[in-house]
Amino acid sequence: MKKYYSKFNTMKRIASGTFSGHPAAIIGLIGFLIFVIVAIFAPWIAPQNPYDLMTLDIMDGLLPPMAKLGNGTTAWLGTDALGRDILSSVIYGLRISLFVAFVAVIVGSFLGIILGLLAALKGGWVETLVMRAVDLKVSFPGILLALMMLAIFGTGVDKIIYALIIGTWANKARLTRSSALTEMSKEYIDAAKLAGLSNWRVMMHFLLPNSIAPVLVILPMSISGAIGAEATLSFLGVGVPITEPSLGLLIANGNDYLLSGKWWISIFPGLVLVGLVLCINVVADRIREYNNPYLKSRG
Amino acid sequence: MNTILTVKDLGISYPVGKNEIPALQAIRIDIAPAQVVGVVGESGAGKSTIGKAVLGLLDQNAIIKSGHIEFLGQNMLSMKEAKLESIRGKDIGYIYQNPMTALNPVLTIGEQMIEAIEANTNLRGKKARDYAIELLEQADVPEAEDRLTKYPHQLSGGLCQRIVIAIAISAKPKLIIADEPTTALDVTVQKAILNTLTKLCRQHDVAIMLITHDMGVVAEMCDYLYVLRYGKQVEQGPANDVIYNPQEAYSKQLMAAVPRIDKRVERFVVPGEESIQGKHAALTYLHDKEQSTRNSLQPILSAESLCKTFITPATMFRPKKEFKAVSGASFYVNEGETVGIVGESGSGKSTIGRMLLGLHDLTSGKVTYRGKDLAEFATEKERRKHSLSMQCIFQDPYSSLNPRMSAGQNITYALQAHGMIKEHEASELAGDLMALVGLPRADKDKKPYAFSGGERQRIGIARALAFRPDFLFCDEPTSALDVSVQAELLNLLRDLQKQFNLSMLFVSHDLAVVRYMCDRVIVMKDGVIVEQGSNEQIFDDPQHPYTQSLLAAMPRLENIA
Repeated sequence: MKKYYSKFNTMKRIASGTFSGHPAAIIGLIGFLIFVIVAIFAPWIAPQNPYDLMTLDIMDGLLPPMAKLGNGTTAWLGTDALGRDILSSVIYGLRISLFVAFVAVIVGSFLGIILGLLAALKGGWVETLVMRAVDLKVSFPGILLALMMLAIFGTGVDKIIYALIIGTWANKARLTRSSALTEMSKEYIDAAKLAGLSNWRVMMHFLLPNSIAPVLVILPMSISGAIGAEATLSFLGVGVPITEPSLGLLIANGNDYLLSGKWWISIFPGLVLVGLVLCINVVADRIREYNNPYLKSRG
Repeated sequence: MNTILTVKDLGISYPVGKNEIPALQAIRIDIAPAQVVGVVGESGAGKSTIGKAVLGLLDQNAIIKSGHIEFLGQNMLSMKEAKLESIRGKDIGYIYQNPMTALNPVLTIGEQMIEAIEANTNLRGKKARDYAIELLEQADVPEAEDRLTKYPHQLSGGLCQRIVIAIAISAKPKLIIADEPTTALDVTVQKAILNTLTKLCRQHDVAIMLITHDMGVVAEMCDYLYVLRYGKQVEQGPANDVIYNPQEAYSKQLMAAVPRIDKRVERFVVPGEESIQGKHAALTYLHDKEQSTRNSLQPILSAESLCKTFITPATMFRPKKEFKAVSGASFYVNEGETVGIVGESGSGKSTIGRMLLGLHDLTSGKVTYRGKDLAEFATEKERRKHSLSMQCIFQDPYSSLNPRMSAGQNITYALQAHGMIKEHEASELAGDLMALVGLPRADKDKKPYAFSGGERQRIGIARALAFRPDFLFCDEPTSALDVSVQAELLNLLRDLQKQFNLSMLFVSHDLAVVRYMCDRVIVMKDGVIVEQGSNEQIFDDPQHPYTQSLLAAMPRLENIA
């Protein structure tokens, strides 16, 4: 018990070091946490379940913000063509966007870290294979690769997660390999070898914990990137299915109505998307800055 | 007295969090024209801070608490930056610790020298170039004109330092501040560089403020000495008095800890040192090892014509390159014996050790450990098992411990992984071993960053001891440490060796350390063993000219009692 308490203290110390005295980063962090909480508790927060067709009334379609609906509630952000409350759609869309991005980045990073460590530790053909695969991936425009994959596998939440995993593993593998190579030249790795430890133990208990830091630092940036990529793909119509709209798909839905003055259908999901990515990026910037001793503003 | 530099009551602090940590307190230094003044102390003593303060190059957050610095009658502390710039380089030259990083890698030597000459003198163009060549010649740089077109990476560290010296004296300064000018260099190079520096300063009447931790260098160079500790001045006086007849307790300790080359001392005098006797638990553990079945007449370890060639494979643009790190090295280590390997950097000392330990493959040759040829094992695993009693103490205490494990885990992790001890025993054993190497038992739960360099090295020793080793390879174990810490560690290693009849192969570039530690000595040069013999043979009656030149180059402290 005591141990966890002290771990918590360490985390608190790191967090206060990272964020104190940087109001932009604090606001970003608070904003991000609000988005996450809203997404997690969507069913209790959203005024309407946008997936439940029984609650929708086509007569409420295309109402502007603050309009009263047929059942007496207020649509704060208006409704779309099917009479869905935009606020509720955005809250549920946020949920899908965050879920897809988090799962894709976590799985992709895990994959990248393992491959990077293997490449560094094994060398030889393993390293060649992994690093050429990284080169191949990096030399391809990401969105094009994802479009191709989705064209082959079809669309769906799981498919877009696969596509985003393919998009995120490569730079993590490269980063992990380079920091693992630095660690491998240090003497404690030699000491571990002299102690007759297996490669697996050296990798998991010596190499991994010491070479993972740079990847963790760029993780928030990857998440915001994945959110953007998912929105792009969904906007293009190859992302999530219409029954599980993400922010990108909601923007696409309203796209047809923009020119006829029904701005609210696209603009609100768009604003939330911008706000979310901005919050994450501000936090990510600060984390990167704090961890980079060469930047003067470290404090 | 006629002085060019006067430092009076200087106090400097650095903010750490909300507190201020004093880096220097009440420092008084006077330097007369053409005087060589040494500022000595161990790491953290504030030596470099003095040099930086004189030049106005302190870190931005440094707080000057008191005192003043006067150079040629001008107050340096209240001077504007523009004025300081005109003094730096012109009236005060600076020589850096690492010549390779002090020079700009993308400019040729000529461009850098001429730039400095044009900035600080009236010479321009062709005249500046001619002056640069003249300076290089004065600094004993061979083929001076040719060097002007070279880049720093094409030259050796010693040559680069000569060029830095030439730049420093180019404007005929009154004072040169030399911050550990030879620490990064080999002893034979160090000797020549110091000679050049002294010669030039005599010629041009330049005073030197020599900042160093090396007592030998100080003894050879300095007229007057200031001893610093924890930012305070401990002792000052003419160099000979301070070195050979120190008054203060700390100076006495410091001088007693300096390894001697002219005779083999029995033991360094370290106040407050505990003997390892009486640390029963760890001693019982270490004595409780299987009695090996080897024939005690045979050496525990022998190497026959070891060769290691590093090959850079050919690429499209470059043919294959071979580098012979070690060739034809044969030697043996008897049970309970310490054998030293000395040589300058690049002589292949560490490579030999790495081959013995199986961290490098052999290009050719044979290593026999406890009667078995290490190449005979079918698998890597079996070989490792056989050689578990062969351990290493590494050079760099800052990278030799896993930073994510506590000290105790670092010591016992491998034993646990092999199932040699249980978890509850591990913690106990870690504590015992920590106590044996002179660390508090309770510190076993701290992470490596909480320890100093010397303490980390003790943890490294404890980790090696955990395997109940028969043979220890020590790869410059004290080269990163202060001299008093070095003395403690060398004492500890010798005690351990006597107690457990350990065999050791001890690599060092410092002949004095090898003189203290070793029964027999191997001298290496460019991958070849040039001479081997007993301690007395090598140090008192060296046969090979290289050994003789190494010994002659070592700075000496002759007459300390």
